[in-house]
Amino acid sequence: MKKVLLLITISLLLAVPGFAEKAPNGIFIKNAKIHTITKGTIENGNLLVVNGKIKAVGSDVKNEGNLPELDAKGMDLYPGFIDASTGYGLMEIWSVPATLDYQEVGDFNPDVKAAWAYKPNSIHTGIGRTTGVTTALVNPSGGLFSGIGAIVKLDGWTIDEALVEEDAVSILNFPESPSGDDEKGKKAKLIEKKIKKIKDILKEARRYHELKKLASSSGRHIPYNQKYEALGPVLEGKLPLIVNVKKAEDIKNVLKFKKEEKLNIILKGCEQGYMVADEIKKSGIPVILGSLSGGFGTAIPTEPEEAYDAVWANPGKLAAAGVKVTFSTGSPISGKDLPFHAARAVAFGMDREEALRAITINAAQILGLDDRLGSIETGKDADFFLCSGDPLDLRTEVKHVFINGKDVDLSNWWEELREKWEKRPLK
Amino acid sequence: MTKFKTLKFTILMVACLLITVSTVADSEYILLKNGNILTVTGDNIEGGDILIKGKLIVKIGKGIKPPKGARVIDLDGKYAMPGIIDTHIHIAAEGNVNETGVLMPTEVHVKDVINPEDYTIFHALAAGVTTIHTMHGSANPIAGRGIVLKLRWGQDADGMIFKEAPETIKWALGENPKQSNYSTTKGKRYPGTRMGVEASIRELFEEAKDYDSKWDEYRAALKKGKRPLPPRKNYRLEIVNEMLDGKLWVRCHAYQADEMISIMKLCDEYGVKLAAFEHALEAYRIIPELKKYNVAISGFVDFWGYKWETFKTMPYEFAQLAKNGIVTAVHSDSGTRTRRLYIDAAKMIRYGGATEKQALEALTINGAKILGVEKLTGSLEAGKQADIAVFNRHPLDPYTRPEMTIVEGKILFDRKAYFAKRAEEEKERKRREAEEKAKKEAEKKKKEAKKKTDKKPAKAKKDKPGVN
Repeated sequence: MKKVLLLITISLLLAVPGFAEKAPNGIFIKNAKIHTITKGTIENGNLLVVNGKIKAVGSDVKNEGNLPELDAKGMDLYPGFIDASTGYGLMEIWSVPATLDYQEVGDFNPDVKAAWAYKPNSIHTGIGRTTGVTTALVNPSGGLFSGIGAIVKLDGWTIDEALVEEDAVSILNFPESPSGDDEKGKKAKLIEKKIKKIKDILKEARRYHELKKLASSSGRHIPYNQKYEALGPVLEGKLPLIVNVKKAEDIKNVLKFKKEEKLNIILKGCEQGYMVADEIKKSGIPVILGSLSGGFGTAIPTEPEEAYDAVWANPGKLAAAGVKVTFSTGSPISGKDLPFHAARAVAFGMDREEALRAITINAAQILGLDDRLGSIETGKDADFFLCSGDPLDLRTEVKHVFINGKDVDLSNWWEELREKWEKRPLK
Repeated sequence: MTKFKTLKFTILMVACLLITVSTVADSEYILLKNGNILTVTGDNIEGGDILIKGKLIVKIGKGIKPPKGARVIDLDGKYAMPGIIDTHIHIAAEGNVNETGVLMPTEVHVKDVINPEDYTIFHALAAGVTTIHTMHGSANPIAGRGIVLKLRWGQDADGMIFKEAPETIKWALGENPKQSNYSTTKGKRYPGTRMGVEASIRELFEEAKDYDSKWDEYRAALKKGKRPLPPRKNYRLEIVNEMLDGKLWVRCHAYQADEMISIMKLCDEYGVKLAAFEHALEAYRIIPELKKYNVAISGFVDFWGYKWETFKTMPYEFAQLAKNGIVTAVHSDSGTRTRRLYIDAAKMIRYGGATEKQALEALTINGAKILGVEKLTGSLEAGKQADIAVFNRHPLDPYTRPEMTIVEGKILFDRKAYFAKRAEEEKERKRREAEEKAKKEAEKKKKEAKKKTDKKPAKAKKDKPGVN
């Protein structure tokens, strides 16, 4: 019996054209409504994908080299969404420590890397991409310096296949001002002290690198400091530093900190950003917004004096002031909800097109990957998805997700459970 | 004053009184005009009106004429649905809601710690929520009693209680009562397994039955003319006996299918009214059993993965339960999730293809059934309490926003008015600031002028309070 099965399998494999040789490396998508994000919408568009890249896009693009075709008539095509900060592959079950790798012990861990722990086969990855998310910044969290985040595609058998950038960002959690009046300036002093602690660390790291240079120029050697080594690219402005911050006064402190330290900073969270939107705009710093839905995110105003909808209105106000914003989910467990945060912002005043740009091209620009990701343009990675309707509408089902030109298998943990338990007779 | 004049005055007074009374009566009317009415239990009405008198809905339909003096609100195509019912939350309670000192503290009651000024109540209102069930936590196999509140924001604790709702008691199974993820006692305390959780419940039931028979013996002895000593009163066991009489509606926190089956059998055995399982993320596996024992589900659509027992689930559950006739309500369990329950309900459509009506039922009438108040609220019908949530778009639309919330005929949230008031307050704050600044400057000038004319140091000293 086993032999027969094997024979059938072999003959089937041989029967599939091209399987025995090399599979055709590309696909031709035709008749889709293509939302390029950066270059308008093409009503009846074709997309030619070769070797994982977009080779051509337009209404008159033809199939080249007899590539397999997918007729997307009646479907919308969008560039894959980008989750600008989350924990895919670092967390499975929140209360089971054995499954958690997102937070190292201690306060000062600038040297730990998400890429060293990332599990591409996480159950959450499979679910995350069902709403069109194709790329994510996966970063450690907690403490003062949390570590180095990696940018990954939500596909691949191994970390190397998933990885876009191993050293994408460093993470800093900025001290938060206590609430309430500050009549005697006590609060300001406390924060000043905490900021000084960060500045002292950076100063020491700078000294370490100067000494190292000096020593090497004279053929000598100083003891290796892994943590200061990790801060090196941050100090040079080569590695962006994501700074988690919430309150308006603390955001101002970060802006001052950036000026003094001359770092390449990205703001994250910024729940009270709307109060200092013009200052943020002037600084040119982009903002990664946190989850707008509660659960694992924030949906309650930071301070009771704020309007009840402050957190939801914040993205629209920042964008209207000219600040470049994107969204993030913060947790892989709700990673699939990324487009719904954008929708929530639209409900409370953000322009819809801007919300779409936020989770595509803006995210790519903020993460320094707009030459590869964030829009449907010739030469970019073939990361896109097909759906019928508005992808920010949580009722819209995503039919196909392509990552690096590959039609990704959308089966996932939830589907598996459904298939299994639908078999239980109801009577 | 002559007699005639007095009479004239009296008539005038009475007339005045009558006029006042009649205008008061008239202004009890609110007419919501020209909206998209989602009644939930009946048909949707496009371009429909809702007439409210006092606390009640008196009429729903098209082209309703406003009674004299009625306040008319043009909904301008906005959507009106029944106020959302959140069947499981812990807000509006003072402090901790977990009594962990003893294993089964049935004697404690959330009713005793209602905080009517908890701002989360307003947040819930601003999300279209009008009724909540605020509960004891899940640390104990059998915990304290919960309370149903109508969000009459502005009233005191007593004024918020939904008095017609049956009394409830919280149970909890699985990881929380067996302390898998935390420990209140250093080391171990019994129970530490699902077996022990159920054993504890059974033991308490039997203890309560013993207690009851002691009272029976006592009363029988009295009847015989004896003079026995009465048993010592035990509040905890008396509440347990209320449960065994089916008077308290049990709301049981549970995730795993197997423990739910076991508890349904136990409740059936002892005659306990098990109203609903809470969260119940594996309920999709036991639809026939839920039907057999007639147990409802109050849960999350897609909140999961936070514990091992919440991992073997899928968001298709809610649609499957609804399609199979299980009474299913979407709940928040938190002051943040309650602010977007309508988004959660919309997910029933995406996962498993529930109808719009089923999603809306999960937000309203099903919750009312679980709380035992479905005859009073949970749908838009003449005669029901005027609990209404108004949205700018369809409440299941991704871009929707709650605009107005009415509780028993009172507008307790109105987005437009809220921001108008804030703008007014901001203006006033700025005016005061400017005034204060001007005052300070004037004083400064005055001081400087004084310094110039009068250079006596003693004067200057006097101007500095607190120097001596």
